[in-house]
Amino acid sequence: MSALALQGIRLARGGRLVLDGVDAAFAPGRLTAVIGPNGAGKSSLLAVAAGLLRADEGTITLGSEPLSAIGRTALARRRAYLPQNPRVEWPISVERVVALGLTPSLPAFGALPDAMQAAIDTALEEADLLPLRDRPATRLSGGELARTMLARATVGDPEVLIVDEPTAGLDPRHAIDAARRLRARADAGRTVGMAIHDLDLALRFAQDAIAIRGGRVLAAGPAETVFREDVLARLYDVRVAIRRDGDGASIRFLE
Amino acid sequence: MLRGAILLLAAVPLTGCTAASSSPAAPAAGRPMRVMSLSLCTDQLLLALLPPERIASVTWLARDPDSSVMTRAAALVPVNHGLAEDVIRQQPDLILSDGFSMAATRGLLARLGRPVTEIGGTESFDQIRSATRGVARAVGEQARGEALIARMDGQLAELARDPAPPVRVAAWNGDGFGAPPGSLYDAVLRAAGAINVASEGTTAAPDTETLLAAAPALLIRSAPSRPQPGLRDNEARHPLVRRYWDGARTLTISPAAFMCGTPFVADAALALRADLRRAPRTAPSFAR
Amino acid sequence: MTRWLIPLLLALLLLAAGASLLAGTVWLRPAAILAAFTDPQPDLAGLIVRDIRLPRLVLALLIGGILGLSGAVMQGLLRNPLAEPGLLGVTAGSSLGAVIAIYYGFAASFALATPLLALTGGFVTAGLALLLARGAGTMALILAGAAISGLAGAGISLALNLAPNPYAAYEIMTWLMGSLADRSWDHVRLAAPFILAGGALLLATGRALDALALGEAQAESLGIPLGRIRLLALFGTALGVGAATAVAGAIGFVGLIAPHVVRPLVAHRPGKALVPAALAGALLVVLADIATRTIRIGATVNLGVFVSLIGAPFFLWLVLHLRRAAP
Repeated sequence: MSALALQGIRLARGGRLVLDGVDAAFAPGRLTAVIGPNGAGKSSLLAVAAGLLRADEGTITLGSEPLSAIGRTALARRRAYLPQNPRVEWPISVERVVALGLTPSLPAFGALPDAMQAAIDTALEEADLLPLRDRPATRLSGGELARTMLARATVGDPEVLIVDEPTAGLDPRHAIDAARRLRARADAGRTVGMAIHDLDLALRFAQDAIAIRGGRVLAAGPAETVFREDVLARLYDVRVAIRRDGDGASIRFLE
Repeated sequence: MLRGAILLLAAVPLTGCTAASSSPAAPAAGRPMRVMSLSLCTDQLLLALLPPERIASVTWLARDPDSSVMTRAAALVPVNHGLAEDVIRQQPDLILSDGFSMAATRGLLARLGRPVTEIGGTESFDQIRSATRGVARAVGEQARGEALIARMDGQLAELARDPAPPVRVAAWNGDGFGAPPGSLYDAVLRAAGAINVASEGTTAAPDTETLLAAAPALLIRSAPSRPQPGLRDNEARHPLVRRYWDGARTLTISPAAFMCGTPFVADAALALRADLRRAPRTAPSFAR
Repeated sequence: MTRWLIPLLLALLLLAAGASLLAGTVWLRPAAILAAFTDPQPDLAGLIVRDIRLPRLVLALLIGGILGLSGAVMQGLLRNPLAEPGLLGVTAGSSLGAVIAIYYGFAASFALATPLLALTGGFVTAGLALLLARGAGTMALILAGAAISGLAGAGISLALNLAPNPYAAYEIMTWLMGSLADRSWDHVRLAAPFILAGGALLLATGRALDALALGEAQAESLGIPLGRIRLLALFGTALGVGAATAVAGAIGFVGLIAPHVVRPLVAHRPGKALVPAALAGALLVVLADIATRTIRIGATVNLGVFVSLIGAPFFLWLVLHLRRAAP
């Protein structure tokens, strides 16, 4: 399993500097949370890390190889990416959506090989989607869609999993469920990165964190070093208090 | 009300009603000195009946060899484009038109009080005779009109006496039979002695299948003198048509021969009879 | 359901093809049709079957097939069930090219002029639309295509006005509504290579269209080369639809209806819809062509009219189905 390392990333869009000399690392076996205010560049950072957006300057390496040297299909097999608010644009079944995650491994023509069907069944089971396997994906609730998309991303067992806002629009139970599944992937040795606004969840499940503001990294490293009152206050421009008690820690934003 | 009355008087056909005009420039009764024609059919009749000095103008179509049989005569007189401005500029004593001139112009002429003679259609030999007599009367050349009609009748009698052998022909330009029964084209074909397959009572689609089913010996194409590129070239010559009716089995005729009926229509019928005598008469090979 | 869809469509198509050979001005008996193939005689029935109806049938199959296929690819690529081959202006551009070829004498000089100029026209308009909408998303592409189509339409009117043939505008009216009347093996030879080539390019986009159901970002992350897929779709459509327009005029509606009708039958998978849409398109055009030859209301009714008449009830059914399903 490989580490994803970004160095000196510089990205300009429409005359604006979106990422300015960003150094970031996503370690294998660990869940890394990318946090920051709206417009800080979290989505762009994740897209660059996933190899979907080309930075103007800087290098990205996966393990020992530069990302640009890895072929498109090979990269697609090793790395899965979920954008914000992932949608399905045709009413295909849940099982079909999950099966699409195997696209980079499919033969050029012909039907789905049997070995892959087994992987799909396993993925559906692990995500508690078996009873929904024939439901059109356009008729799922938020939580069900989130699980489906995550199953789609993990069915091919990629080394790297990058997810933008996995808990957006989810109720507390489903949000915790999503975060827990991502942490489980990391515990299984994969490299997992997520952008997230829900800091309580990030604090609870993430092992590393990258705080980014205005296109620059404010702080990066183990979660404890980033989730500090002074760092968070500078990040969000709001007074912050972190309360710890028997049930865990919670972050309070004060005016 | 009054305007309507003038219009009605102006539109009475075949009586050469120049006397009905209220124009102050009305000529000596019966012999207008400057006559203007606003339609192709009356152009040709006028050119046949009057010398160039008495013709104010004819339409520009009279000079087109694909529309008119009087192109040489038309080259000697001015042309108009059927517009009221032409009328006002040329100040004719009499205006000739058939029922198909531009309606707005016709209305304007009635308002101007110009004397107008309208003739009917020229789709049959009888109608040609009436139209010729009508124009002849309007321009005061009855004798010349009768002479032209007598010449045509003489030619038609000669054709009836000694027609071409009865060959089955189809008038074919690629979009169905072009000589429906009752048309002048059909009359010309029959006068020459041919059998027009269109009169064999088929109402089928105008496509190659129908032509094959009819299996005429000859095709007659009404081809313009200067072929212009168009869809008909693209589709008219289906390979089957080329295979069975090319070369000697396709005769051509100028569209001018039957576009308007003139007393010279029998010339075309005579030429066609000569062609029919030289052409093959058997059905195409697939139908034998 | 998907497993028997293609065999079913093929069976229907075979029936329709048989009817197409039987029907027409001169109704033939099945025995005569068989004889035309097994024992070729230069008699009336044989000629009609081999040289008139068979090439017409082959053209109907090719044209209907490529229109249906192209429509399915467009809808899959743009993730919009209202997309169709004419969206990028290919139909309008091809018509313009064909009009120039026919009315300015190029077609008379060499036979390949019409399809080549039609293809050029199709490529130019589609290329312009793509260039205009570069990177600006689906809506921009649809708008650019509509604009270029409008320009091409104006170009057609201008070309007709300036053409030396005075009957140009009159003749082109029927042609612009699509027609297979009196087409021959010459036309098949002209169009078939381009249509088949275009079809091959379009079929190659199948896998990508399936992945695009997740949106462009996810499809790219799955390794789909979006730029290349767009080019394949563009080239395939311009080649196939351009050649089809060159020989049969502008037949609309097929590319819209055929994929729309088959998609629910393939569980809405855009990649799986390609072949059924091609077969459905072919079926639609063959049926419409039979109707042109057998149903005559006064004059001959055009192919495009019958395509709409046959296809519209399916559309209505779809609309009603949507209304029932809507919350």
